[in-house]
Amino acid sequence: MKKLLVCTGLILLTTFFIVSEDAHSQQGVTNDSILIGGFGPITGPAAWIGLGARDGINLAIKEINSAGGIQGRKLRLIFEDDAASPSRALAGVKKLVDQDKVFMLFCGAGSNSTVGVIDFVKERKIPMIVSIASAPGVTRPFNKYLFRGGTTEVARYGEIYSDFVTQGLQAEKIAIISGRDEYPKNEADSLTKYLKSWFNIDPVVRVEFNAGDKDFTPQLLEIKKANPEVVAILGHPPEAAIILRQARELGLEQHFFGGAATVDPAVPLNAKFAAEGFTGTFLLPIYLDSKDTDMVKFRQAYKKEYPSHPAGRPNWCDVMAYTDTYVIAEGMKRAGKNLTVDKFISAMETLRDYRVSRIATPRTFTSEHHIGNLRLQPLVVLNGRWVPLAWEPSRPSDVLKKP
Amino acid sequence: MLGLNIQLLVAGLSVGSIYALVALGLVMTYKASDVLNFAQGEILTAGAYIALLFSVTLKFPYYQSFFLTIILISGLGILLERVAFRPLIMAPPFTIIIATLAVGQMIKNLIRLIWQSDVHRLSPPFRMAIWKWQDIRVNTQAVWVIACALIITGILAVFFRSSWLGKAMRSVSQNQQGARLMGISVERVFSLTWAISAALGAAAGILIAPLIGVYPDMGLVLVKAFVASIIGGFTSLAGAVVGGLVVGLIETFSGAYISSTFKEFVAFILLIVLLMFRPYGLFGAKQARRV
Repeated sequence: MKKLLVCTGLILLTTFFIVSEDAHSQQGVTNDSILIGGFGPITGPAAWIGLGARDGINLAIKEINSAGGIQGRKLRLIFEDDAASPSRALAGVKKLVDQDKVFMLFCGAGSNSTVGVIDFVKERKIPMIVSIASAPGVTRPFNKYLFRGGTTEVARYGEIYSDFVTQGLQAEKIAIISGRDEYPKNEADSLTKYLKSWFNIDPVVRVEFNAGDKDFTPQLLEIKKANPEVVAILGHPPEAAIILRQARELGLEQHFFGGAATVDPAVPLNAKFAAEGFTGTFLLPIYLDSKDTDMVKFRQAYKKEYPSHPAGRPNWCDVMAYTDTYVIAEGMKRAGKNLTVDKFISAMETLRDYRVSRIATPRTFTSEHHIGNLRLQPLVVLNGRWVPLAWEPSRPSDVLKKP
Repeated sequence: MLGLNIQLLVAGLSVGSIYALVALGLVMTYKASDVLNFAQGEILTAGAYIALLFSVTLKFPYYQSFFLTIILISGLGILLERVAFRPLIMAPPFTIIIATLAVGQMIKNLIRLIWQSDVHRLSPPFRMAIWKWQDIRVNTQAVWVIACALIITGILAVFFRSSWLGKAMRSVSQNQQGARLMGISVERVFSLTWAISAALGAAAGILIAPLIGVYPDMGLVLVKAFVASIIGGFTSLAGAVVGGLVVGLIETFSGAYISSTFKEFVAFILLIVLLMFRPYGLFGAKQARRV
């Protein structure tokens, strides 16, 4: 009798513990919460990326939780600092997955750190959305656990740039001045490639500079000699501002087009009149200081959540991470109450042109590709501010055609 | 062709003046205290940001911002010398170098913490204009930087030659013990040297900011300034200026006539070649030692 009572008690106790855990033992998911592991640089020179990502995610999570959460569960975030180092990113991700037992990962890091974790994420079969990095390895080769959010493929930059410069700006003679570091060099290579393959155009001249250069006279004189119709500046805001100013000083009257990284308030602020008419492309459909009601609403919510935010925030990383948090929340909602990794992935693959508001580009995922966004919005500097240009690409992307 | 060369000459002198201003600060601290100050680039950056605070945030007029910044950053130089470097006076040189690197990183990260990594604008003292003559175009702000570099060098030359304090600093740099015996407070001279060196860095930051913007990595110009100092001879102030101008000119002309890729490392090639023939630089001299 005594033994029977003990056994019954043990069985009841075991059943209690099983039932009181989430019904389907999915890591990171309990009856009342879903745990997301985020990572990105929140210290060091690239901190503007990770801080933006973290704060954008937190703002979205707060709003989603205030509205009732996902299927009655609140979202929780643990964010690890990777200091833009691949090894620290990997260490952080391992901790999130193995110790913190997150359901999924949110990559708010640059390409450098992202490539350091991809293999581990694939091996551990943890879903990860990459919001900011454009590293090709995220989507090529296709892996169902990896999603690319608001940012786009490196190849797409070249497609859009070449299309805009030749069809939008109607130029045939194009000069390229690009930074020698990885991101601008990739942009320049991609632009050169698509100018040739799509429009059979070779740049009339291509010159390079180093990040941190203070004078671009030799490069600009070489460009002036080649007499292009459009000059593409592919680099970062400090150099872009100096190039624009010096170009006008040296008498270059051509139209200047900038890569995505040059679309920054620092460029018209520092180049002043020299930046007027400067065009570029941006990952958001409207600029950060836009009077569009959705952007105004976002800024107000941001200011309320972070009343002592530093100047220059929110930046585009804040917005990208904010909107991508809503993307994954939508995926979780569609996956239903019994949330598992496979159901989440299948639900994400039902998203077609999804976006939380006009501050985001539409996101689409299918069972054949997880490239959420293929849009870049052209902008132009008018009266010292970036304003959108009404322009659509003239041809579809080749990015989705590739195996 | 003449127009192109004159254009390149102006560009080279302009960027060379930036190197010269930073090199002056490096050489000063080395001459007086044997310390190679790798935080000089970040002191330049701090000067630009403090000027930004005064002129943009507090809306002080340019010259008021300029002088207040110089005073504040001079104070920073004294503080760094007293707190960070004087305690290490007997430490091996490598330790002191690491300390200067650490101080530089602390300053840079503090700047990032407050202002983030955005590029800010510091207005010049006068409206920027372009002087045109045939095909040649010259930015007046660039001329201002060149002129200021030369004026500052002249003032320092007169200071060191003619003033009691300047002579005291020269005597400390030659022989600390002898200077002490002559009643000179070596510690006070160190503090003053660091104050002047920091002021030079701040002045460089304020002068170049309207041309390149204000951002945390402005101080990376230290690398080229260091090369300029060695080329000029690390114990000569005039050499630092000449070295800076030479580096600026060689970079610009090589970028135009050879390639922009070459521009990046031509300064280092010049350094190696020069040191093979003149190991103490253009103006440096071998230190004579009594044996």
